[in-house]
Amino acid sequence: MEVISKPVATSIDTMAEQVFAESISLLGGLKKLVEYRNLTWLPSLAEAAYVVVLRNEAMKSYAEIARELGITEQTARNIATADEEKVRAYLAQEVESADEHIAGGLAKLAYRKLKKEGRLGEEVRLAQREAEVLGIDWAVHVLARIKGLDFPVEKEQLIERLRGLVIKDRKAEEILEKLEYPVKTPAELLHRIKEQL
Amino acid sequence: MAELEGKAPKLFGIPTGTKLDELFYKIEKGEQGYERKPLGGIPYLAVMNITGIPDTGKSILAEQFAVAQASAGYRVLYVTVESPANFLYTALKQKSEALGADFATVEKNIVVIDASDNEELRENPRALLDTMAYAIKEKKITNVIIDSITGLYEHKEVAARQIVRQFFNFLKKWHQTALLVSQKRSAQASESAEAAGGLAVAHIVDGTIVLDKKIIETRWDVSLYHLPLGSVLRTLRIDGCRLAPHDSRTWVFDISDLGVIDIIAPLEEYIKK
Repeated sequence: MEVISKPVATSIDTMAEQVFAESISLLGGLKKLVEYRNLTWLPSLAEAAYVVVLRNEAMKSYAEIARELGITEQTARNIATADEEKVRAYLAQEVESADEHIAGGLAKLAYRKLKKEGRLGEEVRLAQREAEVLGIDWAVHVLARIKGLDFPVEKEQLIERLRGLVIKDRKAEEILEKLEYPVKTPAELLHRIKEQL
Repeated sequence: MAELEGKAPKLFGIPTGTKLDELFYKIEKGEQGYERKPLGGIPYLAVMNITGIPDTGKSILAEQFAVAQASAGYRVLYVTVESPANFLYTALKQKSEALGADFATVEKNIVVIDASDNEELRENPRALLDTMAYAIKEKKITNVIIDSITGLYEHKEVAARQIVRQFFNFLKKWHQTALLVSQKRSAQASESAEAAGGLAVAHIVDGTIVLDKKIIETRWDVSLYHLPLGSVLRTLRIDGCRLAPHDSRTWVFDISDLGVIDIIAPLEEYIKK
């Protein structure tokens, strides 16, 4: 009798990547992203993609999501409960402002679309080459690699996980050498890496 | 609608190794008009809910189904959420012996996912679904047992409907015939289809089988059931199935010392003995 006692590789990472990529597509695609390539909330979008997938696919509580991603429970809640219709209207410039978590609403719109079209979980990935050229996929890859890591973390632990990863043509190890330690949360890690780019 | 013709599943039974197989039937046109014909098992591709209070034989029924299918050469995925895999092994071995099944064949055809000792498998439905998908795909599984589905949302019953729906859709997508064991909470009527998480399981799945027991504790019980005071009367009832017609009476059954279910007679006939 064969016994499987551990989970096989989970598709959460793949799904989060899909939601992230679909969110970008909803913003008008890669071309439009070039115009806004300094958008400061791309790491937040990666975070939101994970929150939406963990909440809806892994049925995690806000406390569990907060612990896993190193964000506050309130942030997880704001993302998961963002009114995606208000965000859609804001992005379509139908209204001037939206008092919502924009990245959260966008990730929810993307998640809903993928789910409706039955594409969530399929092995459809970011157009790697274009994404790498634009340097937009690093946040997702960083989050995927540090999954399960207990924060705060020291340099050695991060180097072990991110070894070999190239972030905007630079080796992750090289970037990690320049950060301040310990890094308290995954969110802080993303922001610190972004400062170095 | 026409394009669905090729996709519509055929109606036939998947044997459980119990008399339950005769309680589902199909209606066919014969020489004398429409006739009832036993299906020979639970409907193919049905996702059935097995519910009951503790010690009513839910897991025993699930194990018997696993042995019946595995000994016939079909591959079974047994997701154990309550009992660790080594205990399940002993139960399946004992059951195989009692049913006269070749345990070597049974053992070869059963794949177990042991979620009882792995928090990620128990608490993260996506991780469990991914693991099940791997097993179904790689091990050519045709039948799935989850014992228990309620164990997957013990701390979050508010998410019961969402979780059960995820598993139901998954089992349909992967063309599985499945038994989902569900546990009752103390306040729930023992004879109802309701389980932990309310009617979430019963509403979503294709049908429910309710197992129940009654302690013989009054003179009236003794006289009605012809059983000694303090003994136990076990009953089973199919509480709805949307895939096939079925007997809807309450049946009396026994669990032998070797842990095998023997369905005896409808309650109405049993009390006439």
